[in-house]
Amino acid sequence: MVINSFSFLAFFAVVFLVYFLPWMRQCHTRQNLWLLLASYFFYGFVDWKMLPVLLAITMAFWFLGGFIRKSIDRGNAKAASRSTTLGVLLGIGLLFYFKYLNFFAGSFAKLLNAIGLHVSWSTLNIVLPVGVSFFTFKLISYVIEIHREKIQPSENFLEFATYIAFFPTIMAGPIDRPGKFLPQLRQAHQFNYNLAMDGCQQILWGIFTKMVIADSIAAITHDAWSIYTEKSSWYLIYAILLSPIQVYADFDGYSNMAIGVGKILGFNITKNFDHPLLARNVSEYWRRWHLSLTGWITDYVFMPLNVRFRNWGNLGIFLAISINLLVIGMWHGANWTYVLFGVYHSLLFLPLILTGKFGKNKKLKPGRWGCVQFKDLLGMIGTHLLMALGHIIIFSAGVPSIIRLFKCMINGDWSFVNPLSLLSWYSILSIVVLLVLEWFTRNKEFAIQRVSKDYTSKTFRIVFLDMLLALAIVIFSASANAEFVYFQF
Amino acid sequence: MERSEIYEKLNEIFCDVLDLDEVHLTDASVADDIEEWDSLSHIQLIVAIEKAFGIKFTSLEIMKWNNVGEMVNSIIAKKQ
Repeated sequence: MVINSFSFLAFFAVVFLVYFLPWMRQCHTRQNLWLLLASYFFYGFVDWKMLPVLLAITMAFWFLGGFIRKSIDRGNAKAASRSTTLGVLLGIGLLFYFKYLNFFAGSFAKLLNAIGLHVSWSTLNIVLPVGVSFFTFKLISYVIEIHREKIQPSENFLEFATYIAFFPTIMAGPIDRPGKFLPQLRQAHQFNYNLAMDGCQQILWGIFTKMVIADSIAAITHDAWSIYTEKSSWYLIYAILLSPIQVYADFDGYSNMAIGVGKILGFNITKNFDHPLLARNVSEYWRRWHLSLTGWITDYVFMPLNVRFRNWGNLGIFLAISINLLVIGMWHGANWTYVLFGVYHSLLFLPLILTGKFGKNKKLKPGRWGCVQFKDLLGMIGTHLLMALGHIIIFSAGVPSIIRLFKCMINGDWSFVNPLSLLSWYSILSIVVLLVLEWFTRNKEFAIQRVSKDYTSKTFRIVFLDMLLALAIVIFSASANAEFVYFQF
Repeated sequence: MERSEIYEKLNEIFCDVLDLDEVHLTDASVADDIEEWDSLSHIQLIVAIEKAFGIKFTSLEIMKWNNVGEMVNSIIAKKQ
């Protein structure tokens, strides 16, 4: 049940109507209980077998959080540290079991076979449950934040379970931090007209980028990653160049829809993107891309490592960044291509570290007529090309496929293909609109957000028309139920 | 060491590491207040502070700080 589907619309209509019944609005516990039931129904609809695991792991972390706080209060720092480590290991263990066991067992068997020890390791066939990478990170974040004394443990299990299973974000994030989200569950939500209208606008923009831009490019990139031997060199080049736009439009589209749904229910969900197409170098790109994940990894992986390596100068920074990027790569799943992706990105950081340019970039300043400055534009194009190369690594089926794809591109058919013939005119126009708005609306949360965020009765009509437009996109789009790229991670 | 003396020294270190002309840190100052202060320059700041005051923080101490005031408390505790 993806957000841009009619089944979700029907589900959400029921959730919304009951959530804001007068009897419900009087008490946040009733609202939380309803949200939790809705979230478990939503998750169970996709993967009902995982529901007991989700409930059990949520309970385990809830108890652990309370125990860590009690240990701190008793002055038992060791017990607090040990229980936090236990929580982190439990989270990583869960991820390891579902995401990596097949991979490591397979690789280990291959290794043993290679050195002459013949073992037959039947494939474990553990199916990756949807959303596990996202809710596990929320759970780990909860125990670390308590240990660092940034938050108090949640005293109410219902509230904690609702935070972990919150349906708009359980499938693919954004990964909300407990410090910002839990307090929102401690008050009854009244219908907030302006916030809800802002959410509707955000959903519309998400539907547009996902269904009009991402899904139309997906048809091209899908062929490039799978049947590249049948494609000409120019086709492959166009696909590679378009891939960063596709993935951005897809994942930003999903994130906007999730955040928008949250806003209608009165929640502020953490933002996931800050105009990554405007990044002038790789370091800036990582400060603009998938913020809820990169922020998480910065706080819990990069900072502790960087603190530990702080007297090693540039080598320490390089090591911390490399481990950080390997974790980001491996987070995507179990495949050597993801490891290679981490190595590739850490190598891109090397020149930046050596020249001292890895720090925070100066704010973008417009040039003549408010347009992007030429020097910045060159940086953006260069970064885009480097990202596009990285996409070959991450979306290829395996390391041999990457080499084969390059061979096909170099030795293939070089007869010219008109790039305009690959996409429909409205898809091309939409991509141009996205690129232009990316620059001109760079200070907004999403491109079509009203500056004042004040939606009067007049703008209600506009929003109503927006929603009709969204409905039209969903109905007429050929790929109404196309999967989101990030659901696989 | 007086709190005001620590702040004087910290202002100097911040200007030096972050390449700023002037800075006025207070107990409530946080990274969001200064554009140049990010996760990377944060580590450079810590290294410079440890060197200037001749102290060593633990990892957990560093992770727990919520603002400059809490960092100053740690410095005072170490200097006593």
